[in-house]
Amino acid sequence: MDCKTANELLPLYFDGELDRATSREFEAHLDECADCRAALIELDALRGSLRKDAPRYTAPEALRTRIQKEAAGSASRQPSRWRRPRLALAASWVLAFAAGGITLAAWDHGSTSGQEQSQLTRDLFSSHWRALAAASPIDVVSTDQHTVKPWFAGKIATAPVVQDFSAQGYALIGGRIDYVGTERVPVLVYRHGKHVIDVFVLPTTARPGSNETIQSQGYVLENATLGGQPAAIVSDMDQAELTRFRELLNTPIRAD
Amino acid sequence: MISTSSRAFVDDLALRHLDAAYNLGRWLLGSEQDAADAVHDAYLRAARASETYAGGNERAWWLAIVRNCCLARLAVRNKEKKNVAIDDNPVAAERWLPRADADDIEERLDSSRRRQRITQHLQNLPENFREVLILREIEELSYREIADVLQTPIGTVMSRLARGRALLQKALTDIGDMEAPHGL
Repeated sequence: MDCKTANELLPLYFDGELDRATSREFEAHLDECADCRAALIELDALRGSLRKDAPRYTAPEALRTRIQKEAAGSASRQPSRWRRPRLALAASWVLAFAAGGITLAAWDHGSTSGQEQSQLTRDLFSSHWRALAAASPIDVVSTDQHTVKPWFAGKIATAPVVQDFSAQGYALIGGRIDYVGTERVPVLVYRHGKHVIDVFVLPTTARPGSNETIQSQGYVLENATLGGQPAAIVSDMDQAELTRFRELLNTPIRAD
Repeated sequence: MISTSSRAFVDDLALRHLDAAYNLGRWLLGSEQDAADAVHDAYLRAARASETYAGGNERAWWLAIVRNCCLARLAVRNKEKKNVAIDDNPVAAERWLPRADADDIEERLDSSRRRQRITQHLQNLPENFREVLILREIEELSYREIADVLQTPIGTVMSRLARGRALLQKALTDIGDMEAPHGL
């Protein structure tokens, strides 16, 4: 990739809008081009100061109360339909989602000590989204753990533990290699119903933080352990499905 | 008649993204009262139009309505601009205040001055650059979502974002600009 192309792609890369293959070409160029690296750092510094110093104005309580009242008014006119359990369930889900969104926003705008972690979190989410946006979220398509593991072995220092859980409803569909910060990490891809699940196997030094679940735009990130290595699960499954999957991952493997 | 579920959908949506809506309005209009009024207008409009929501990104749909209400207010304001009061735009007014020492090195600015400085520069940008910066950097919308809010092609979003970033970057590195109107 030449500098001219890289320059055009730079904001897209920075904003997480490049597909994975092009991202990698761009990163290869970045490795050898100090100018493009400097330009990227400049963009990041600008974003940093905007997020840190530009106020995100929060809606005044009066406005919120006013809309809440009008909303309640419209609902009470047709109470029977509003109280249908399905809608109530949807509403509670929406509330949970909003709370998750707030957690992430607080996380993003949080103290500098949390910044490294939040960068990791952001990397994991954006990698998942980028993969979903690409034509195929996987580099090696295989439902066979004995194909996926050797594929990794040829590409990165430590191949992860690869298990298939299709019997339990979480089928292994392949793997890819992605970047988290500057590290190349293996990603195992599973499918559960219509949900695509990414399992990032992280370097032992990286911990995406405590065991709490982090949500962003309807996607959930949760920490797990995979054969003694820290890992992060990113998906849009619901909490129960996610917990079940996490337990499967955490279970020590039988020798096969 | 508007069905309950679509109305409930708008209620949830507006309340869920109320801060995002208000933040956009506040940055576009520069006034608390106007921003709150514009968001309330937007809520009423969204409630009336709830049946017309045709799927797609709901946050972008909601913010597009908010933005249209803000632009409508701006248009009215620009018509009345003949007699603009100086405190209508506190940021511009502030520029004429004498600055303290010329300690213009960024590291030495305390956080409230840094805030003030970036707010001022952002507010000074033309609104079409300001809004993409707010939507992308603060609200973290994707290009696609921003394009939906602005009802423009993604290419336009990209070029405005690039230009907006360059302008803001330049304003922030031009150390001299803040101190210029000293003697006034």
